[in-house]
Amino acid sequence: MQFFLDRLFDGISNGAIYAALALALVMVYRATATINFAQGEMALFTTYLAWGLTTRHVPVFVALLIAAAAGFVLGAVSERTLVRPIEKRSLLATLIVLLGLFSVLNASDGLIWGKGNQSMPSLFPNTLQSYVSVFGARLYWANVGVWLLVAAVVAMMFGLFNGTRLGLQMRATANNRESAALAGIPVGRILMLGWGISAAIGAVAGVLFTPLTPDSLGLGEMFPLLIYASAAALLGGLDSPGGAVIAGLLLGVAEVMLSAYVPAIGGQLQEAIAFVAIVAVLLLRPQGLFGTKEVERV
Amino acid sequence: MTTPLVVRERSAAHRGLQVAGLVLLAGLAVWASTFNSFRLGQLTVALLYATAIAGLNLATGYTGQLSIGHSAFFGLGAYTTGILVASHNWNPLVTLIPAAVLCFAVGVLVALPSLRIRGINLALVTLALGVAFPELVDRFPGVTGGQIGLNINVYQLLPPPWTGISIANRFQYYYWLSAGLLAIVLVLSATLVRSRAGLAMKATRDRETAAAAMGVNLAWTKMMVFGLSGAITGVAGSIFAIYLGSLSADASFTLTLSIVFITGLVIGGVATTLGPVIGGLAVFFVPYWTENIRQGEASQLIFGVILIVLMFAMPEGLMGLISRLSRRVLRIEPQPPGPPGRQGGAAVPAAASGEPPADAARPADAARPADGEQSTDGEQSTADGAPSPVINHHEERNTA
Amino acid sequence: MNLLEVTDLKAGYGQAEVLHGISLHVEQGEVVVILGANGAGKTTTLRAIAGLIGRRGTVSIGGTLLRPGVPAEAVAAGLSLVPQGRGTFTKLTVQENLLVGATKRRDKAAVAQDIDRWYEVFPALSARTKQAAGTLSGGEQQMLAVARSLMSRPSLLLCDEPSLGLAPLVVRSVFDVLREINAEDGTAMLIVEQNAELALDLASRVYLLEVGEVVTSGSAQDLRHSDTVRRSYLGY
Repeated sequence: MQFFLDRLFDGISNGAIYAALALALVMVYRATATINFAQGEMALFTTYLAWGLTTRHVPVFVALLIAAAAGFVLGAVSERTLVRPIEKRSLLATLIVLLGLFSVLNASDGLIWGKGNQSMPSLFPNTLQSYVSVFGARLYWANVGVWLLVAAVVAMMFGLFNGTRLGLQMRATANNRESAALAGIPVGRILMLGWGISAAIGAVAGVLFTPLTPDSLGLGEMFPLLIYASAAALLGGLDSPGGAVIAGLLLGVAEVMLSAYVPAIGGQLQEAIAFVAIVAVLLLRPQGLFGTKEVERV
Repeated sequence: MTTPLVVRERSAAHRGLQVAGLVLLAGLAVWASTFNSFRLGQLTVALLYATAIAGLNLATGYTGQLSIGHSAFFGLGAYTTGILVASHNWNPLVTLIPAAVLCFAVGVLVALPSLRIRGINLALVTLALGVAFPELVDRFPGVTGGQIGLNINVYQLLPPPWTGISIANRFQYYYWLSAGLLAIVLVLSATLVRSRAGLAMKATRDRETAAAAMGVNLAWTKMMVFGLSGAITGVAGSIFAIYLGSLSADASFTLTLSIVFITGLVIGGVATTLGPVIGGLAVFFVPYWTENIRQGEASQLIFGVILIVLMFAMPEGLMGLISRLSRRVLRIEPQPPGPPGRQGGAAVPAAASGEPPADAARPADAARPADGEQSTDGEQSTADGAPSPVINHHEERNTA
Repeated sequence: MNLLEVTDLKAGYGQAEVLHGISLHVEQGEVVVILGANGAGKTTTLRAIAGLIGRRGTVSIGGTLLRPGVPAEAVAAGLSLVPQGRGTFTKLTVQENLLVGATKRRDKAAVAQDIDRWYEVFPALSARTKQAAGTLSGGEQQMLAVARSLMSRPSLLLCDEPSLGLAPLVVRSVFDVLREINAEDGTAMLIVEQNAELALDLASRVYLLEVGEVVTSGSAQDLRHSDTVRRSYLGY
């Protein structure tokens, strides 16, 4: 029981991060019909930024806010300067440009902050003693903090989308850009906003995720995260934010449980599993668990 | 500005030019084989990259399916050869067959999910493939040597006696292997692209739903193309293993390599025959030349910037640029339409009669709509403003 | 002063110019119809006026000159376009579709009133307020599109082929509603239509477009009795 709970808590933490990133991916997909491949690297860049600040004695929380703001700017500028001009050409062109951004960001991380692995200080008390006992298992405060913060972010997003005029404008723009323009919605600004928010969420996810494992801030850190988040987004249905969150949590728990109870699957096989999960979902139910089927008119 | 010289397709002059082109290329290849071993080694790898990119071109350039996972095919081919030779004593050249078959199978499998939806999803699956491959290799050290790597005894990789190449000159052998493979692959893909299947591929790339409505079997097209694409890249990987003799997944077959391939594809020119050659040479030698500017990361940064800049400024790649410029000097035009019925009865995919025009690769939309594609020898087949084969047919029949 | 003044409008897609210098005007409260065969450039005209595509020439609403390619400006000046194919926000509810139409308005109470009014005028919509708009029938979506466009209380309503894809009875009710709105609110309308008979019935003036140019214009009465129009468009 204790073993199970320990794993469960870890799984929920990972899952929460996947959920946050998946949400970011879905937001962008709904608005621009593209997966922002560079999402992971934007998050990594801003996480490095936050880490760099903490080495100059900036408190972690402040570093987090700055990272989120930097992420917002990065996302908005990327949309305006890279994505918007290239979108009209083709999906392939857009994906390639994003891939280029991916490379540039990753390389910049190495050039600015070095190639070695670093440790990111945690937002929450993170010592070996900061836990509370639940049925004999250890529920670390750091974990609880992650859950609460992610839950807050997700709640804010839902509140924004469904409860505000701005949210309605964003949903309208994502649904039908031309009709949104005809209604007078400033489509360009909305798109930039969407990408900005999305990248800010990614920044928060990165800063939350990295401290969970010591020494994990490295150039390749975000690759698996991107895969899992994409798998979650696909699983949930690319146009369903709620689905993305649920799927993220499910994946996080499943991943930890599998590697705990089926030892043959070592840590490194996990991406392969996510890969298989993606394939399976797309085969059986291409619109994901909660998405809507697309109908295309010729 | 001088008016371009016009040559009719399949006329004697055209054939003459093609032969001259081939002779030139052959001459270049032979000249290169006289380089010293180091250069030969470099050239070998560059040509193998070119082959891998040619494989990628089929899936991404001609069929529009972005793959960020081709490093996995390259690696899979390499490791298949490596394992069969090192642990089971196979003849290295024979291992090319199982490598090709395995990669083909994986390619088909990977394409399965894209059957129901488009572009992005396949790209994601290939991303996962590219990330997962090195990890899978590390996970089974017993078979693959894991993180330590796999070593093949040099004596198993020597040029076979029938080639007449001595051990001292073995780099010539590897060079000719890669050059030969590249030549075969280029001819193969040029032929494929001009066939019915090629039309299906391009239709899939340009407008899937419309293609399906016109009878293109999307599922089949995507799966077969991806399988073939993977197989080609895989065989390039096999020869890479033969040349290198020592494999390490973390060093050579990571996601970075996938991005290198895509960069090469874009630099050379998407959906062109010779583009992959230029691309392969570029992505091998650019990092080599910029090695001194900060290890490793500089080239990754440069490639990223190149990708972005090219997509904006020169989406048709170098080959596209070259063909556009040289079209001012020399044009190859299709034969004028003959009497009705001469070109056969079948409607849509009668591509044998001429180059499908208006065939700019999607990223090259910005270029003039009539940019044609390259024939094997790098000369241009253009059909500026010529109507599509379908329309041609109808018009021909109506002139009866 | 005319409500809508269009002078020498030229527009197209990429390198193909579709409109070769169109001039037209709409007076306050008028209903004007643009007729023409497929490919004549009717839709392009509306889209150019609404700012969805770039254009040369001048477009002014109520005396305000509009910049090309900026839809928000046209909306602010009091214009609203019901696009071809309805342009429904398929994933938003009916209620939300209407709210989006009012997105530029600040008077919440009046917006709520307007919504209630449209539910009265279109009872089919009131039965489906929380339904995803994509599940509505073609006719219902057309009603929704008209209501949505009117939520911004425009002085000029542009309609692009409101009858497209709809059953004859439904088309009739759409035109009845348009007539009603014009009579009650005094909203001017510029309607592009293939269905000449119904359109001529509603309109006071007509422009005939052919290959990107205005070839004839005049009062609806006159054109109805003109042999040319009748033969080309009404078939007898």
